[in-house]
Amino acid sequence: MLTAIGTMVTAAEPEGGGSHWTLTMIVVLPLVSFVLCGLCAAFKVKSKLPAWITVASLAAAFVFTLMAFMNAGPMIAAAGAEHGAEHAAASAEHAGHLTVHVFDWLNFDWGGGKSSSGRFDADFGFYIDGLTLLWMLFVTGLGTLIALYASEYMAHDVGLGYCRFFAAFSLFVLSMSCLVMASNLLMLFFGWEGVGLCSYLLIGYFYKKPAAVAAAKKAFIVNRIGDLGLLMGILGVYAAFGTVQYDKVFEFIHKGVDAGGHPLTTSSWIPVILPLLLTAGAFGKSAQLFFYVWLPDAMEGPTPVSALIHAATMVTAGVFLIARMMPLYTIDPAHTILTFVAWGGTITAFWAATIGMAHFDIKRVMGYSTASQLGYMFAGLGVMNSAGGAAHVFSHAFFKATLFLACGAVMHGFAGQLDLRKLSGVRKLPGWKIVAAAMFFGALNLSGVTFTAGFWSKDLILASSFEQSPAIGWILLITAGLTAYYTFRAYFRVFEGPVYFEPGDEVHGHDEHEDHAGHGHDGHGEESHAHDGHAQGHGHGGEFHPHAPGWAINTVLATLVVGCFAIIPLVGFAEHGAWVGKMVGASSAAMHGGEEGHGTFLGMNPHSVMYYVSSVVGLLGIAAAWWLHLAGRTSAAHANADKLEPALGPIVTWARHKWYVDEFYDAVIRIPLKFLSNIFYLLDQYLVDGLVNLTGFVPKGLGRLIRPSQSGELHGYALGMAGGLAVLILIVLMVAR
Amino acid sequence: MNQWLLILAMLTPLASALGVAVLPAARAKTVAMYGTLVALVFVLYAGFGVFSWEQSGYMQLGMDEPIRWIPSLGLEFQVGVDGISMMLVMLTALLGPICVISSFTAIKDREKTYYAWLLVLQAAMTGVFCARDLILFYICFEFTLVPMFILISVWGSTNRKKAAIKFFLYTFTGSVIALAGLVYVAWFNVHRPGIEGHVNWTFNIQTLAFASSKWMSLNQQTWVMFALLAGFAVKVPLFPVHTWLPLAHTEAPTAGSVILAGVLLKLGTYALIRFVLPFVPAAVVAYAPLIGALCIVGIIYGGLICWVQTDVKKLVAYSSVAHLGFCVLGMFALNHAGIEGSVLYMINHGLSTGALFLLIGMIYERYHTRSMKELGGLAAKMPVWATFMVFFTMASVGLPGLNGFVSEFLCVMGTYQASTAWGSGVWHTLVPQVGTTPGELGPWYAIIAGTGMIIAAMYLLYMLGKVVWGPLRLPAGHDHHGGHDAKDDHGPALPTDLSMREIGVLVPLAVLCVALGVYPKPLLEALKAPTDSLVQAANAGREKIGVEATPGERAAKGEKGAGSAQLPGSERPAGTTHLELLTPDMISPASGRPGEVTP
Repeated sequence: MLTAIGTMVTAAEPEGGGSHWTLTMIVVLPLVSFVLCGLCAAFKVKSKLPAWITVASLAAAFVFTLMAFMNAGPMIAAAGAEHGAEHAAASAEHAGHLTVHVFDWLNFDWGGGKSSSGRFDADFGFYIDGLTLLWMLFVTGLGTLIALYASEYMAHDVGLGYCRFFAAFSLFVLSMSCLVMASNLLMLFFGWEGVGLCSYLLIGYFYKKPAAVAAAKKAFIVNRIGDLGLLMGILGVYAAFGTVQYDKVFEFIHKGVDAGGHPLTTSSWIPVILPLLLTAGAFGKSAQLFFYVWLPDAMEGPTPVSALIHAATMVTAGVFLIARMMPLYTIDPAHTILTFVAWGGTITAFWAATIGMAHFDIKRVMGYSTASQLGYMFAGLGVMNSAGGAAHVFSHAFFKATLFLACGAVMHGFAGQLDLRKLSGVRKLPGWKIVAAAMFFGALNLSGVTFTAGFWSKDLILASSFEQSPAIGWILLITAGLTAYYTFRAYFRVFEGPVYFEPGDEVHGHDEHEDHAGHGHDGHGEESHAHDGHAQGHGHGGEFHPHAPGWAINTVLATLVVGCFAIIPLVGFAEHGAWVGKMVGASSAAMHGGEEGHGTFLGMNPHSVMYYVSSVVGLLGIAAAWWLHLAGRTSAAHANADKLEPALGPIVTWARHKWYVDEFYDAVIRIPLKFLSNIFYLLDQYLVDGLVNLTGFVPKGLGRLIRPSQSGELHGYALGMAGGLAVLILIVLMVAR
Repeated sequence: MNQWLLILAMLTPLASALGVAVLPAARAKTVAMYGTLVALVFVLYAGFGVFSWEQSGYMQLGMDEPIRWIPSLGLEFQVGVDGISMMLVMLTALLGPICVISSFTAIKDREKTYYAWLLVLQAAMTGVFCARDLILFYICFEFTLVPMFILISVWGSTNRKKAAIKFFLYTFTGSVIALAGLVYVAWFNVHRPGIEGHVNWTFNIQTLAFASSKWMSLNQQTWVMFALLAGFAVKVPLFPVHTWLPLAHTEAPTAGSVILAGVLLKLGTYALIRFVLPFVPAAVVAYAPLIGALCIVGIIYGGLICWVQTDVKKLVAYSSVAHLGFCVLGMFALNHAGIEGSVLYMINHGLSTGALFLLIGMIYERYHTRSMKELGGLAAKMPVWATFMVFFTMASVGLPGLNGFVSEFLCVMGTYQASTAWGSGVWHTLVPQVGTTPGELGPWYAIIAGTGMIIAAMYLLYMLGKVVWGPLRLPAGHDHHGGHDAKDDHGPALPTDLSMREIGVLVPLAVLCVALGVYPKPLLEALKAPTDSLVQAANAGREKIGVEATPGERAAKGEKGAGSAQLPGSERPAGTTHLELLTPDMISPASGRPGEVTP
């Protein structure tokens, strides 16, 4: 055993030198940060040290990712060139990739002797191609920025949950890196569940709030349902190909045979059931179709968490999974499951947008918007435009993070106020210019206003949708209008119009104080000190002064706005998604070219007209938002939209109540299951155990009959022994006869 | 010297028990602690310094010469371990000092008796895993009941008498029937067909396994299997015979619960893997779907019951029913992944559930309640405790990266692989064709069992949501400002959060949870040899009743006719058969003795 550990240490050494250690460092740095933040918590550090540790480590990880990207440059260029050259035949097999083995995780082999032999390999290792690097760049890059933002945002928790926050934050980046860089499906699952754990811990960060605890639990359990599908899919992949390593699986798929040498297309389950199982996992993690319910509730977490985990990175893991396993999805010539993915995304995009239009909580609006935008990404994958899907992931990561962080700044400044009926004209307050600008530019992107990054990436998806299936295209186009409406509804209500604000109840950003007041302190004087020092300014009775964001928040917001512009050339001005398209082309997600569908947009080539159409739709949505929520608005609470509401009847109320989906799930799944559990418990106590107790009476009764004078319990087992011996003799006689 | 290490591992706790009994009560703790620690050192030395895990054949590390006990009856005192039992011996030795140290403040009366019995229990459990002889095994197996009976009935909580009696009677009745089965096997060995002349009785496990698996008819094997199951399934416990467990767990003192969950339940699974699988493989193959179905019922039924508990200790107790369902399911997949997963499950369940019981005990010591209605939101008051609680809950949920995942995944993987029957599997699962068509587990079993992983998340996060998170709730009498809640007792006061002693008890378990989750490879390697012999046994059983050897494994390793894609590592020597159950290299020369008929 010791020698085995020894080999592990040597195996961890970089193999063949070169750039491999830089890849390992990408994972090691967040791990170091996690451990250090944990130590900070153990030693009760009462400064911003954990934040700086996290920012520094993640920044270093970002630098290493850049180095890995530079190193891999030739590989990607070569694969991209190949992809371009033989556009029709390019496939995952030709895409350049690098597989690095770090150490054996769940590798084992068996047999070789008398019994059947085989092996299962799930390394801790990396599979590096364009897709991996694309994801890692924004995971580490945005991770660093958001950690910096959080250093200020979470400042009121210094000495309380600050270390816990940054430990979980680092652990998240670690898990996400493992998920993205994994060399096999099981390591992906490792990261997959790891990000789920961090999501759980961070949604429930304000753990004294029952709503946060419930939301965290819901997120984890709903995810687990999808994860079961993913796990079964992984086992199915293993059953089909005898391996879960990406490169070997792709090799088999490229050859068109399973491990037994049978052609894949004749299999009844490999082309359909396997991708379907993986899709269940992807939809769970990315909050699509039946699984979307957890994401809006996840907004209970601190806003930086919503920005990083529940908008930019973790929720895109489902998109990543499907893009990564695209060869498996394209085995089926009819693309059954891809069509399912496209429809799943489309329905979610529309559905979530309708709820976003009615909600008054800006963070929830953004949450539904995320579910909706993720729907676009899946639609992109489903309509055979993986470059479009990935491009939208990329641009969405930037602009949605910007939007969330701007909302977070508002929340931070107005004591947790999120209701867009209680805030107005924030832009006109001193010190809020950068926040307002960030919100504005983020909103432009989300609405798909011409030439923004969001515009380019969304157009890729829309055009391909019309090409493959006009029905999907139309729904997505209408949803684009709705998106523009709800985005600018939030912007116009909060940042424009007359200046007005009411402080929130501090529950979202500052709940520690409130709870401390309620529960007293177990001998931690410093906590009460923090409370007293801070709560003065936010009292409900006293005069409320919003506090404008400080340098960290403003720097991050400004950087992100610049980023939103800087990425335009990376996703735009080209039919196949520019640089992002090239990265995706140099990966397992590369799509077979030349398979363009025959759908049109009103008889025109969707790729050439979509720019104009979607621009018009986006502007219409903004105009509607302007008319309904800004024009002539004199107070925060009332706008023209109120006049429209009675005309729509109960629809608005239903949408505001999320179409009662949560209630439906409760009634159909949770309550019956709870009922069943109670029945089981009663059965267990009275039937299963009752029978046992009944048999317990038999020897007792017999004992009374035989030896009435004897009392005490031990005669029971004496009889038991006698009974056992009797059975023994019986069996011996029976068999020996 | 080396072969005496195992005996020392048993004798040291016994000697310390004697020491505890003789020395004054004030010394009891110290003696018990050092006794268990020394035993741990012996075991660690045996495991890392002496034992060669890579080639651990059948119970290979042990005594060269058996101590003849009653030669005419073939009774011998003989100990030895292989990879499977060594791991369990190490688990037992590790939990020993942890249980002793965790009891320092919890046990305040009759300390001498308490620690003495705890040590005796430790010796008996080690004996079970080391026994190479049926009778020694059975003596130790039954003897574990006595100390546990006393621990529960004296130091348990309110309903302790009933729990102790039920625990004793239930498991005892079962194991008497198991004894009948075991004795029948020994009897069969001297009366089996083909024996010429007089053959001495023997109770050597290896010899008996060879004889019974080779010569017993399916009918005989079936009878023996059900007799053995009667004893061992109760101990595990499998679904319909589990009702002693929640009661015993709930009422036992903390250390008792830890040992119960950590080791005593493993006596059942160990006995299944040590006796049922190799003794009666044909019957096992034939009835695997039935056992698998019972496991699945246990996983779902047990899990759902957890979900409606209000007593946190009972919740964890019922979770054992669900967890061990996975363990036995993997075992009855009868392939490498399943069996290795099953053995790892025994270890991992011992670590994580043991730790959960310790954590609950720490709360009970402070607040004297286990009700989730009275307690809640303890993260605010006891952040260190809460951190450990979340950690071990996640290990129990089966989060990848921690130990629970590795074993759960392997069990589910083994189950999935056991056959490739996707279409026909549905019917097979819903109505196991017991006895008539020998069946295999398969993907549908894995999927249905997999819902247990969702249910595990449901009930464990429900528990976390109540106890760790949420607004702080303390039982009446513990006001919010009370920092030292244990003052009303006559023992030493406990700090609000965990003391260094309590942290020290939890840290080794936490470290192991991470280590085994991130790098399980040494254990997987160590289990290779013993698992291989078990799979061979199962294959022989399949041949006996005419079933093809695991189709799932065959598909997975890519072995098919010409033109198949060749993957590195997927080649396999062709034409291997599974005729022989125990290969000559598994019967070491040291174990040859009169009474054994070599094939």
